[in-house]
Amino acid sequence: MPTPTAALPQTPETVAFRSLHPQDLKTLNARHGWSLNLAELVAIQAHFQTLKREPTLAELETLAQTWSEHCKHKTFTSPIRYNDGKKTRLIKSLIEETIFKATKQLNRPWCLSVFKDNAGIVAFGPKWALAFKVETHNHPSAIEPYGGAETGVGGVIRDVMGAGLGAKPVLNTDVFCFAPPDYDGPLPEGALHPRRVLNGVVSGVRDYGNRMGIPTAGGGLWFDPDYRLNPLVFCGTVGLLPVWAVRKEVKAGDLIVAAGGRTGRDGLHGATFSSAALEGAQLSAVQIGHALNEKKLLDALLIARDKKLYRGVTDCGAGGFSSAIGELAAECGARVRLEAARLKVSDLAPWEIWLSESQERMVFAVPPRSLKAFAEAFASEACETAVLGEFTSTGRLEVTHGGTSVVDLDMRFLHDGLPRQERSAVWASQKPAPSKAPTHKKSLAQILEECLGHLNVCSREWIVRQYDHEVQGGTVIKPLQGIRHDGPGDACVIWPHAATGNPSDHQGFAVSHGLNPAYGKIDPYRMALACADEALRNLLCVGADISRAAFLDNFCWASPDDPAQLGALVRAAEGCRDAALGFGVPFISGKDSLFNQTRDVSGKDLAIPGTLLISALAPVADIRKALTMDIKGPGNALYLVGWTAEELGGSLFHQICGRCAGGKEVRPAGTSGTSIAAGASCTAPAVDTRTALATFKAVQAALAKGLVLSAHDLSDGGLGVAAAEMCFTGEFGASLDLDEVPRRAPIYSDEVLLFSESASRILFEVSPEQEAAFLKALRGVPAKRVGTTVANPVLKVAGLDGRIALESALCDLKSAWQLSLPRRLG
Amino acid sequence: MSDKTGVLTKEASGPAPVAKPASGSYLVEVSLKPDFTDAEGLSAQWLLQCAGLPAHAVRVGRLYDLRGPLNLGHVHVAVRELLCDCVTQEFRICHSAGTAPHNGCLWRVEVWLKPTVTDIVGESVCEALRDLGMPQVAVRCGMSYHIAGKCGRNQLDKAVARSLANPIVHHFSLNEAH
Repeated sequence: MPTPTAALPQTPETVAFRSLHPQDLKTLNARHGWSLNLAELVAIQAHFQTLKREPTLAELETLAQTWSEHCKHKTFTSPIRYNDGKKTRLIKSLIEETIFKATKQLNRPWCLSVFKDNAGIVAFGPKWALAFKVETHNHPSAIEPYGGAETGVGGVIRDVMGAGLGAKPVLNTDVFCFAPPDYDGPLPEGALHPRRVLNGVVSGVRDYGNRMGIPTAGGGLWFDPDYRLNPLVFCGTVGLLPVWAVRKEVKAGDLIVAAGGRTGRDGLHGATFSSAALEGAQLSAVQIGHALNEKKLLDALLIARDKKLYRGVTDCGAGGFSSAIGELAAECGARVRLEAARLKVSDLAPWEIWLSESQERMVFAVPPRSLKAFAEAFASEACETAVLGEFTSTGRLEVTHGGTSVVDLDMRFLHDGLPRQERSAVWASQKPAPSKAPTHKKSLAQILEECLGHLNVCSREWIVRQYDHEVQGGTVIKPLQGIRHDGPGDACVIWPHAATGNPSDHQGFAVSHGLNPAYGKIDPYRMALACADEALRNLLCVGADISRAAFLDNFCWASPDDPAQLGALVRAAEGCRDAALGFGVPFISGKDSLFNQTRDVSGKDLAIPGTLLISALAPVADIRKALTMDIKGPGNALYLVGWTAEELGGSLFHQICGRCAGGKEVRPAGTSGTSIAAGASCTAPAVDTRTALATFKAVQAALAKGLVLSAHDLSDGGLGVAAAEMCFTGEFGASLDLDEVPRRAPIYSDEVLLFSESASRILFEVSPEQEAAFLKALRGVPAKRVGTTVANPVLKVAGLDGRIALESALCDLKSAWQLSLPRRLG
Repeated sequence: MSDKTGVLTKEASGPAPVAKPASGSYLVEVSLKPDFTDAEGLSAQWLLQCAGLPAHAVRVGRLYDLRGPLNLGHVHVAVRELLCDCVTQEFRICHSAGTAPHNGCLWRVEVWLKPTVTDIVGESVCEALRDLGMPQVAVRCGMSYHIAGKCGRNQLDKAVARSLANPIVHHFSLNEAH
């Protein structure tokens, strides 16, 4: 296929910028959609006044892209004056003082690359390393769910392909936050219905991952009506690379080589919208992924990597060539000739070539002597390459088109010239809600069924079955578990033997997630700790080594210009820091997506709930010993490990039975048998990391000795939901005695004991022969036998008064869990 | 796509007709034979119902708009070798992009990616045709929906925009079938 190129050298469009009044700068900024603030515009103006020339449009676009929130994380790296309700202090850099600080302090030698490459990289045995990245693709998915999700998956896969010298993707994960699919409230003109967003996003993730031959085996789903205008789509990828390929470098004289898809008018942002010359300019914000092109690019990259034909690589993400080449050349400089780029259409302006976000493209630093072999390796996979220029030692970014200068910027100004803007943040802890007597008269069985059918708990089989989670043949613990392969799981375990080529090496890894925006509505600090705690417990339950666990953070928040929103964000970041230090688990990578708010039908800004996704990765020493959560047989003991407290704030119980507060237990007239948790505390679950870590270590030792038959963490819906899930997944019943639940303070309510969402708790199934050894391993840890498994397919719970408080057939419980999502989908 | 007519053939198997001079533009529609359950049709029916359109039945087809130095013989080879599984599917070939009456359906909807949106399936078909030794052609892919149900054009237009097409990336046409 012939390569279209721009027919004639075009004179770069310069912008009369130096003498503009601040108001005119703002107008220009709005017209081009640069999202720069006035201080940044003035800094750019001052720079070009010093240079005594006007900037080109390409230079302004390059600066806008490089200085964007997406690339520079301005909120997390700029000073914040933070008032926590008691005193005000200055945070110089939120990311440095929270997440980076914890990682630096922990200083784990097996963290091979943190926060500087396209993905975090940790050691995986002596020869291999794992690269892990989770990204969001929220706004594109709201506009065009299928294309947005596809390109989200494609982008995060390329991030891992561009980590170090390139990793082979071995696992995809997906976590979504949507409004309920049967949402029937009003939506503003142009907004897609949540059901449609759900369908499109799932299809996009499915098609891209399946076509790339990468198993999508981990994930989560959260519903809240406040996501109706800003759905969240988190896409993650884990890749495997040899340890020698972790480090990348770029030397002056190396050639800049673009490989993969061609450059078109896809994904151009602000400037494109303002261009009257482009028909249907709005379309260019939407990109359609091409999984087969990315697969060819991946295969070629791995061939070239193993032949050591290049020294550096990165993917073209936001900002296209401008950010990819700008990042690779940050420490040296680059000279780029845009006329050499392979184009989809011939009428692209030079700045469009430079900034296009066409998918499936990567940029390599290739030593001249390797170019021929490099091009042959890519040609063997039908993958196009083009030499765009060379890296230099000038410290400048010099871009030309047909001999005419398009961009000529000092790398120091480009990367360090961004003025930092101080923001204000305020955190005010919520006052207790007014006390009110509960009105519900639901039985424990009814509440349990409603918990199991709740959208945030129910079966995700409709989604999971659309993904190929078996491709590559290494999915040991699958997303659906149990005797009929249709029960829930805590974490997936992957055995990457196809990538290592060594089936006698039984080391694998597990990936899990923690997410609970409902806690964040009460206290983002506790949400962060609870998410980290849940992610770790999920890893623990499948037999992973949590002493080698690593976290990733993904913050999705509303506007940080609102001091209250920013205050909550600071709280959450501090929670991440304390979780990392408390559990001894470093963060290795992260990302933030801010300004997730949109005007609703009433004209008011609808902000998403502050959302933090913590993803966790840990090695599994021997995948043959990995554990599932289904009950394995009758007559086994059920042990509950961890303290239970009155912690129902943000819980499923409150969502189902109504929120109650006041601190006192209220027994409404006419209720008997079970007590009502009316006065149960409205605080979100707290995490005592010291006790939790000691517990987890003891549990890990017991698991390593093979003392446990099954394990399941307690999260949404507490003990009731966890026990029910274990039972119906294994098709064995259980008898529980709530009086035996470990607790430090007295609890007088069956409901609290059954549905409290206290953190750091796990339910274990232990055979009678192993009980003594299990208890010995857990000496000093809060653990009590709370029940026994039985052959009869019934879950029976004895209340505090000794009488049967709940008796439910497993088939009813499973139906409630399984049928909810399909029913809500219509 | 604008209204066009001109069905040339409709068949599932049998010898290719004698090649006619290249006319440059063909629309191929591939759909499941009526004996097979159309899962995509059921899904589309559900989506339309969710969008407020009481569709009784929906059958789905795939559209391939082939443009280039082709003759009918070429197109038959492309369809049999690449685009249609003649065991479970049937196809129709029209001159240009056509919409034709479809027995038993009240409405026929065509959904296409807008010309400025990259059509990756079309690109793949192009490459595959090249591998089959065909002349170089441009290919765009779309979907057709044959919808049975009592509704007005405006109602259908709104429902399709809410369910089967996204006006940001698609354009679509509605035609009353006879």
